[in-house]
Amino acid sequence: MKKALFLVAALAASTSLAAPFVYPAAWTAEPNTANKRGGEYRNATISDFKTFNPFTSAESTSIPNTMALGASLFTQDPRNDSYLPKMAESMPVISNNNKRFVVKIRQGMKFSDGQEITADDWVTTAKIHTDDKVGSNSYDSFFLSDKPITVKKIDKYTLQFDFPNVSASAYGIMSYTPWPDHIFGDAYRKGGAAAVKALWSLSTNPSQIVSPGAWVLESYQAGERAVLRANPRYGEWNKDSAGNAVPYLARYSYRIVKDINAQLAAYLAGQIDTFGPRNADDLAQIKKAIDGGNLKATLIPNVSPAASSQWITFNWNKAGDPFKQKLFRDVRFRQAMSHIANRQAMVQLALGGLGVETYYSVYPVFKNYIFDSAPKYKYDLAAATKLLAQMGFTKKNAQGWLVDKSGKVLEFNLSTNAGNNTREQLGRIFADEAKKVGVKVNFTPIDFNTLVGQLTAKGDNRPFDAILLGLANGGNTWPFGVNVVPCGTNLHSWNNPTDGKCLTSKEQLMSKLYYQGDATLDLAARRKVGEQLLKAEAENQAVIYLVGGTYHVTFNERLGGEYPRSLMDSYYLSRDTDLTFVK
Amino acid sequence: MLIFIIRRLVQAIPTLLLSSVLIFFIISLAPGDFLTPAKLNPGITQQQLDNLARNFGLDKHPVEQYLLWMKNMLFRGDLGLSFSYQQPVMQIIWPRVLNSMYLVILLQILYYLIAIPIGVYGAVKQNTLWDKSVNVVMYFLLGFPNFFLALIAIYFLVQLQFKTGITLPIGGMTSNGFSEMGPLEKFWDVLKHLLIPASLVAIHSTAGFSRILRALTLDVLHSDYVRTARAKGVSERSAIWKHTVRNAILPIVAGLGGELPALISGAGFIEVVFAYPGITPMLLDALTASDLYLIAGFTVITTVLLVVGNILADLLTAVVDPRVKAA
Repeated sequence: MKKALFLVAALAASTSLAAPFVYPAAWTAEPNTANKRGGEYRNATISDFKTFNPFTSAESTSIPNTMALGASLFTQDPRNDSYLPKMAESMPVISNNNKRFVVKIRQGMKFSDGQEITADDWVTTAKIHTDDKVGSNSYDSFFLSDKPITVKKIDKYTLQFDFPNVSASAYGIMSYTPWPDHIFGDAYRKGGAAAVKALWSLSTNPSQIVSPGAWVLESYQAGERAVLRANPRYGEWNKDSAGNAVPYLARYSYRIVKDINAQLAAYLAGQIDTFGPRNADDLAQIKKAIDGGNLKATLIPNVSPAASSQWITFNWNKAGDPFKQKLFRDVRFRQAMSHIANRQAMVQLALGGLGVETYYSVYPVFKNYIFDSAPKYKYDLAAATKLLAQMGFTKKNAQGWLVDKSGKVLEFNLSTNAGNNTREQLGRIFADEAKKVGVKVNFTPIDFNTLVGQLTAKGDNRPFDAILLGLANGGNTWPFGVNVVPCGTNLHSWNNPTDGKCLTSKEQLMSKLYYQGDATLDLAARRKVGEQLLKAEAENQAVIYLVGGTYHVTFNERLGGEYPRSLMDSYYLSRDTDLTFVK
Repeated sequence: MLIFIIRRLVQAIPTLLLSSVLIFFIISLAPGDFLTPAKLNPGITQQQLDNLARNFGLDKHPVEQYLLWMKNMLFRGDLGLSFSYQQPVMQIIWPRVLNSMYLVILLQILYYLIAIPIGVYGAVKQNTLWDKSVNVVMYFLLGFPNFFLALIAIYFLVQLQFKTGITLPIGGMTSNGFSEMGPLEKFWDVLKHLLIPASLVAIHSTAGFSRILRALTLDVLHSDYVRTARAKGVSERSAIWKHTVRNAILPIVAGLGGELPALISGAGFIEVVFAYPGITPMLLDALTASDLYLIAGFTVITTVLLVVGNILADLLTAVVDPRVKAA
């Protein structure tokens, strides 16, 4: 009897849906207690969409990425950066010295067309991303130091990931979106990469587009608007803390507005629900409209530092100019240059007071990896003068420039990309301060593509002295650049000889620590490595970090369900669209 | 006539060939390529950059790229594949060109409706208070870039909404929920969105054209044959419209050929400012992204249209001006 009952229960369990993912109540400051449903979240984007195809898409705001919101094995908890199982039923079983992850996925999840989501979808997606003929933007994320990560199906609901070595980013890597095997897999098996690339272009009828995530494409008008509607299948396995299906919204739309001033105007007129204020002017206009009672909106300035950096790098590979090569390779010179950078003036003048001083490659928003033990060479002209004097620059010539014993003037060229007002102002301020101690900085903005060509040039005689530029992107799991820190990589911008070898022991240490941290799964242990790396990097001062902007949040009052203020930042942004609702 | 057309078409071949070479190599000569911005991504590896370069054919020599492009264009009418859209160029630009055409046609109609009366009337009533005040406004407009005018207009539209609550469309081509509208509603919705940018450009371009027309009309107005016509006793209306304007407008008809490519190349920055889904915002994106074939493909089409437009304008001149014969 007992056995029979058990059998009935087991049968019932296998036909009904497995437990859903429940959004923690703490993820929103304004819970949707009345279960308001429907309505449209109207967003805007600056650049037109290029494709609906997730394998050829390369944009930051894209249709596939929006559709895929919520569709990943694991998701990061904005409260503590840890990973929670999302499409996975539970956390993985880890074996083989932290290199094998066996993941059970939730049963009964479906694509928007009603087909079940199974292990095959992950396996096929990985296979297509790693075909170099497809040219997917995610290609790199399936390799660790050139060795592939393998994805294997154990059974319909079980996946096995094998990493070539231990990786801190394992959860992030496994959290790619599974796209339907019954569409992409079929095409790939029949026609290879070319067939996959031909699928889901802008001219594809939206009714043929299938999504595993919260949203699915409803309509697209070229260059004007894309409307996505809630995927009801997603609501079957995603619930809020009261057990209601999410997303609450019926639609999520993007208007394509290329001019930011026009975007602001649309926001002020209440035609879009959110806007990304760039500067003090934008903030002032929004505040004026709110104060005047013309716009009912929330405005939170300076939510957090932005996830981006501005810096100056000095070229160590100048075989054609031994004077400058010696100069740039001298750590005292680079420390002096950091002392010259008047970061406070940069924040005030170039960023209108809305910015933060930065000293490290790690964006200040990733507080977990900023350590006080790493030195800061703050604005101090006297210290700069002293360091330069130690290097032999004690005298000034008739024009007031520092010279060495042979009478050679201490000067270098600094370039940035023309047209970027902020960077042009940063360079100007730097050159003005340098003049005060007698360093001649010839600052010239040049064409962006030329600049990038110079920066990424390889060899023993690279074509620049110093470059002022910025970087963005990157996650918070191991927030050092895979392409920046290790010697021989593309953006190891200060030293990039033909053989890609490190020049100093500090650099060797940095490369070693980078890979060591990247291969440390435990957060606390990884932070320890991060602290050493940050210290080595700061002491080396190969790149002088200047300032970063800040992130501001504003949204129309008709929207509810944003994050609590303490969870908003430039990495997690201001809301989860699943918990967003129209009041 | 037929021989004239054939001769002109044959002459067009070297012109087009040479322009295609120029277009392609000027774009290729610019530093960097489509993949340059990707190099600044701290997460992308050299191997991936090489993969992409191979997929896009960017690893080939520019001359080889050109010959391949030319071959596909001549034998298959294929303008190439856009890097960023991964789609044939024609498929991408066509909907944009169509959108731009709505705007351009409407603004051309408004433009002639405003500019011709202003120009002619200014000449007839030369140096009156009316003529002088129009002159002041026109010279003022001449000194303004039209996108700036558009930004000011948007500012006033938002202020108008704040003060009175009247909501006018301040961008885009359609309202939310456009797809659910009936055909008549759709037409009205698009027209509503078109009217403000179209009138802005029309008024703005009036400044230049009405000045030229005024000067040309003045020239003819003082010529002997108009005096003769008046002496013969033709009505003032006929003297102006039939005898004067018809002759004054000849140089403008000859220049109409240049307007044909303008039909598809959009209304320029006004489209950007008004978030109008025309060709300009897309071309600007393509330029900043170095999307080689998209830019080159579009430029080839405009060049062809320029050549065709010039042939048409020559034929039109022959129709309007009996002194010219198309032979």
